[in-house]
Amino acid sequence: MKRLPLEGVRIADLSMMWAGPFATRLLAEMGAEIVKIESPRAWDNVRTLLPQPGATEPWNTSYYFNDYNRDKKSLTLDLSQPRGRELFLELVAQCDCVIENYRADVLDKLGIGWEILRKARPDVILISMAGFGKTGPEQRLVGFGPIIEQMAGMASTTGYGDDGVPYKTGISYGDPIGGIAAAGAVVLAMIARRRTGRGAWIDLAQRETMAQMLGPAFAAASLRGESPVHRGNRDPHFAPQGVYRCAGRDQWVAISARDDREWWALCAAIGAPELESLELAERRQRHDELDRRIERWTALFLPREAAESLQRAGVSAAPVLDCNAIHQDPHLAARGSWVELPHPKMKAWKQPASAWRLVEAKPLLRRHAPLFGEHNREILCGLLGHPERELAELEGAGIIGDAPIGAREG
Amino acid sequence: MSHGEELPLAGVRVLEIGGGVAAAFATRWMAGFGADVVRSDAGRETLGRDEQAFLLAGKRRVGAGDARLRELALAADIVVEDGAPGALAARGLDPRELQRAKPALVVVSLTPFGQTGPAAHWRASNLVAHAAGGVLSLTGVASRPPLQNGGNQAWMMLGLNGCSAALAAYFGALVHGEGDWLDLSAQDCAAGMLELYGPRAAFENTEAPRLGNRVHAIWGIFPCADGFAGVCALQRQAPAFFAMTGEPALADPRFLDPGQRLTADAELGALVEDWFRDKKKHELLEMGEKHKVPIGAVQTPLDLLASPGLAEREFFDPVVTPAGVARVPGRPYLGVGWRAGELHAPAADTDAVARDWLGAKS
Repeated sequence: MKRLPLEGVRIADLSMMWAGPFATRLLAEMGAEIVKIESPRAWDNVRTLLPQPGATEPWNTSYYFNDYNRDKKSLTLDLSQPRGRELFLELVAQCDCVIENYRADVLDKLGIGWEILRKARPDVILISMAGFGKTGPEQRLVGFGPIIEQMAGMASTTGYGDDGVPYKTGISYGDPIGGIAAAGAVVLAMIARRRTGRGAWIDLAQRETMAQMLGPAFAAASLRGESPVHRGNRDPHFAPQGVYRCAGRDQWVAISARDDREWWALCAAIGAPELESLELAERRQRHDELDRRIERWTALFLPREAAESLQRAGVSAAPVLDCNAIHQDPHLAARGSWVELPHPKMKAWKQPASAWRLVEAKPLLRRHAPLFGEHNREILCGLLGHPERELAELEGAGIIGDAPIGAREG
Repeated sequence: MSHGEELPLAGVRVLEIGGGVAAAFATRWMAGFGADVVRSDAGRETLGRDEQAFLLAGKRRVGAGDARLRELALAADIVVEDGAPGALAARGLDPRELQRAKPALVVVSLTPFGQTGPAAHWRASNLVAHAAGGVLSLTGVASRPPLQNGGNQAWMMLGLNGCSAALAAYFGALVHGEGDWLDLSAQDCAAGMLELYGPRAAFENTEAPRLGNRVHAIWGIFPCADGFAGVCALQRQAPAFFAMTGEPALADPRFLDPGQRLTADAELGALVEDWFRDKKKHELLEMGEKHKVPIGAVQTPLDLLASPGLAEREFFDPVVTPAGVARVPGRPYLGVGWRAGELHAPAADTDAVARDWLGAKS
C-alpha cells in the first residue's frame, strides 16, 4: 500500500473551535502528526460546549470535539507562563508548521509571533487564520463562521426571494471553508519550501476564502453592478428546479430538469405528458404551476423512492438528506463513508471517513480525539527529551494538566 | 509576510479535463500560484461568462483528441477532472493505468457521488448534489423548504477540496515518489462538515431542525437600520455583548446564565432584535471591534468590491473580459507569491502547449 502524502510531517496546532481544527483534521487524515496545544486555563471550547449529561469528564467525552480532532495528539501548555512558552518553542523547533486561528492580535500578545517562531525554527511555516487577516483596517473585527459568511457576501446571496431576507447557512459555513483552504495552504508552503528552503507566514483571512466561493458573483457585480438575486431553490439557467415535499414529516426531494431531455423524462415519470412540449422559456414562466404539479407527485412518495424513480427515468434528483438520514444513506454506507472508532470513555458512533480518498494510500482513521493532555509525557519526555520528574513540577505550576481548570464551572 | 513574490507552484504542470465548475475551481488557485494549468476544452462551453472570468483566468487552453489528451496527462504532474465515473477511462485515460505509466502522477476525480457505490452514476445538478450532502437540510426556516446557498456551493466546495487534496497528494509525490488517484465526491465532502449537527445526530439520533436566521437569541441575523446584521456570541462573549448594547433590559442577570438564557430565549431574542433595529451596519461593526464581540453585517459583492480593507489587502484581481474589466477574488491568502491571470480563447494554446509539454513541432 502507498504511503500517505504527509507521513513524516509534524504540525503544532494552536487552533480552536472549528476552522483550524477542521484544517488539521484534514492534514491528520493525510498522515501528518498533529500536536494540539491547549492551556489548562484556555482550552478548545468545543470540548465543553455540549457537555454530556452526568459526564465526569465532559472535556473528554464530547462527540462534537471528537469528530474534528481525531487522529491528533494533545499537549497541554499554559502559553501565558514563560516556561510554557519555552516548551512550546522547543516543540516548534521539531515541527514543520504552526497553525493558529486566534483573533489577529493574540499570537503576538502571547509572545510567540512570527519572528519568535522563526528563531526557534528558521524554516517554519506559520498559518494564521484570523477572520479578517493580520493586516488592514478590519483586522480587529472578531469573526466566527456565521459572521464570516455575512461579511463575505455569502448570506446576501442566499434567500427564498419573496421575503427580501438574506439567510445564514445552516452550518457555520465560513469555518470549514477556511479550514479546507488552510490545509491546502500548509502543503502549498511546504511544496515551496522544498525548493527554496525557506518557510513562510501565510495570512489567511477566513472572510477572503469565503468570498472566493462566490467568485462569479464578483464578476457580475463589477461588470454590471449586479446585486445578488435570491432565487430560492431555482436555477438561473434551467427549469424547473426545486425542493419538493414528500410523504412524511419534513421530508423533501431535490429535482432538476437540466435540459429538455430531463424535462421530458420528468414529465413521463410524474405522469404529465401534456407538459412535455413546454420549452424552457415557458417552463420558467410557469415555474410556480409546474412546482405544484411536481409536488402533487412527490407527495405520494418517500424522498428516496421519488429520487430513485426519477433517476431511473433519467432525471437529476436526490433525497434531501437530513442529519439522521445521511447516516443511514445506503450509498454512503456502501462507500464506507462512516467509521466507528473505539473510544475509552464513549460509546461508538458514526464519524465521517476521510473525504479525500486516495484510492491506493487509503487514509484510514486511526484513533479517537485525544483526551486532555493525553500526550504530555510522549511529547515532553519522548520528543523533547525532558526528564519524567519535570512533569510533576509543570503540573504543580499549572503549566500542564489533564483537566481544564474551571471547566466544571462553565 | 515573507518571500511573497516567488510563485510556489512555478514549474508544476496541471491538466484540467472536464469543463465544470468543480474542476475549474480546483485548478483556479493553482494557476494563480504559478502552476502551468492547461484546460482541455470540452465541446460546448458549460461555464457562464461570469464563471469564466473568475475560474479561467491564468489558464492555457487546448483542444485535444483522446490520444493527445493522454500524452498531456502523462506529461502533467496533476490531472483534475470532473467527468462522470468511467468517462476518463472511456477516453483511454483510465486513472489506474495512467498511474502505472507514471507512478508520480496525481489524478483527482471530482464527482457528485464518487466513483463507487449504488448512486455513483446518479445525475446531479448543483442543487441535487447539495441536497445529498446534508447542508441543504439545515438551511432555511422550518416552516418552508430547505434552502440552497447562493452560488454553486456544492460544486465550489468540491473544487476547493479538490485543490487542497491535490496539493497534498502532489507534496506526497514529491517526497515519496508516489502519486495517487483521488476519488472526491461532493456528498462525502459535505457529509463530513455538518458542524455539531452531524455528530450529534450520529451520537444521539437527534433531529436537527432548520433554524432560519436564529440559532439562539445571541447567535443570528437581524434586521438593522440599513439592511441586516448579526451577532454570534458564545457564553464567553455574552457579558461583553450585553454590556456593549448599553440596554438596561439586557443587563438582566438571567441572560448571563447559559441555562436561564436558554429558557428565556424568545424573550431575549425579541430584545436583541429591537436593539439591532435602529443601528446602522458601520456602527454595529465599530461596536463589535471595540468590545471584542463577534458582530457582522450582511454585505453584498458590491460592498466588498468597495471595501477599503480588501483593497488594502489587494484581494481583487482585474480580469479583462469581452464585456470589460471584471474584478474578481484573487489571492486566497497572503504570504506566498500569486499572479493575476488573463483569459485565453478556447484552444488558443494548443500548439504552444504541445511544444512546451511534449516537445512537439507545430
